[in-house]
Amino acid sequence: MKFWVAASLILASVYILPSYEEEESGARLLVSKNILNQYLVEGKDLTVEYKIFNVGSRVAFDVVLNDNTFPESSFSVVSGNLKVTWERIAPNSNVTHAVILRPLKPGYYNFTAAEISYVVSEDSNERTIGYTSYPGEGGIVPQKDFDRRFSPHVLDWLVFAFMTLPSLGIPFLLWYSSKSKYDQPKPKKN
Amino acid sequence: MAATCQICVVLGLFLLPAFIYGDTCLAPVVKSQTYSTPEAVVSTDTVLIAEFTLTCKNNLKNINLYADIGGRTIPATKTYEANKYQISISDEHKKLPPGTYEIRIFDEEGFAALRKAQRSGESTDSLKPLFTISLSHQGIWSGPVLQSEFVAAMTAIIVWWLAYTARGKLLA
Amino acid sequence: MAGGKQNKLSREEELLLQDFSRNVSTKSSALFYGNAFIVSAIPVWLFWRIHQMDLYQSAIIFAIGTIISTYLVAMAYRNLKFILKHKIAVKREDAVAKETLKKFADDKRMTKKEKDERVLWKKNEIADYEATTFSIFYNNALYLALLIVSSFFVLKNFNPVVNYSLAVGSAAGLLALFSTSSKI
Repeated sequence: MKFWVAASLILASVYILPSYEEEESGARLLVSKNILNQYLVEGKDLTVEYKIFNVGSRVAFDVVLNDNTFPESSFSVVSGNLKVTWERIAPNSNVTHAVILRPLKPGYYNFTAAEISYVVSEDSNERTIGYTSYPGEGGIVPQKDFDRRFSPHVLDWLVFAFMTLPSLGIPFLLWYSSKSKYDQPKPKKN
Repeated sequence: MAATCQICVVLGLFLLPAFIYGDTCLAPVVKSQTYSTPEAVVSTDTVLIAEFTLTCKNNLKNINLYADIGGRTIPATKTYEANKYQISISDEHKKLPPGTYEIRIFDEEGFAALRKAQRSGESTDSLKPLFTISLSHQGIWSGPVLQSEFVAAMTAIIVWWLAYTARGKLLA
Repeated sequence: MAGGKQNKLSREEELLLQDFSRNVSTKSSALFYGNAFIVSAIPVWLFWRIHQMDLYQSAIIFAIGTIISTYLVAMAYRNLKFILKHKIAVKREDAVAKETLKKFADDKRMTKKEKDERVLWKKNEIADYEATTFSIFYNNALYLALLIVSSFFVLKNFNPVVNYSLAVGSAAGLLALFSTSSKI
């Protein structure tokens, strides 16, 4: 599980290759998509972070980030939006976008790339399409298993203490009352 | 290349508001919803998200907005819902301590003034934002300091140890 | 059995004490099994609530575990009681004698022998009582400590069914083993 998270954190962005004439003057976006969770747990927040870097020399216009890799049957959105847009992303700058989802069922899930499209220069109307890095496969732990490992179960332990109390307390008190009645300090040596 | 880019940024920042003709949003009505990472298991970095819907009296739509959170300036992300925006900040847990974050939202005009103030090293506190959203971050819960089973085991061992010493005395 | 104090026991006393040795009375046996059952059943709670075992699906293994554990724990109670009883009898001798003799001091009809028998009987009763209660207390404390340590630390990463079987089995087994030795 951990190796997978680590792997996903490595910025493995997919390059959007512009043609040669654009390289000098165009915008070029690199997008990483990362799952920031330590553990993926059914019913617990799943943090997806997108980082968009404009490594080109010009402003990228009308940037659209669209992630339709989270079907509604498996994930519900807690916060954030899966289809967003920026009017412009300046060269040498980056923007961060985050979405919080909640996995609805346990099991392995293959997290794939989201789509990004933008216009390289203001006067062009041709859209460049690219993809984000893909985090890869991750196992969503059932809530029950996660609870077993990580929930503090304070109440359950208190009940347990309450149950063990008579089986320790009663014999102890019975013994102790008898002991204190008959246990004498050692006779003083004369 | 860096120099040309800087020029781009500068040009963009100064010229764009003029081109777009930033009409100011009158009497903004904001509905906002915030999120902050509650526990370490859920995210290795602290993520703060503010989503808001802006309604202007003068029916201004789809304007560009910028956010300033304690010196970080970021463009507001537009969503496909009408006039709905999102602001996302992520950083290491330590760099985003618990507390209330005031997110100041500026329009193009306000943003230009903000950048100008930032460049000249002036305080930006006096700048009046279009509106402010406060995001309260409760902090990251990274599990109990002492695990219950550890406490239980220690208690059980102490009880047994007391019993053991008592037994030792009886058998002496 | 070699101790200075031990020599103080008369032949009669030894006979009387042996009477109470490992062959416990029905009443005492019921007490042991009752207590052993309670303490053996408690782990079910932990495995149900914390290790998330299903109460119905695991009913059979819980039942088997509880029965075996009850048997072993009861055995541990008996063994420790036997070891403790002699020692306690010696320790309480003076106090019991003093109390009993004081009680019958004014009774002129009682012979010395009768009084001594009374003392002996009373001493036995007290030693038995203390040994029984202390044995239950000590074994319960050790059983729970062994169980928690094995189940939540040693066998932490095992599947709950294996964890339950091994934790309960080892806790009860070790308890029975330790009870035969007067060292641990």
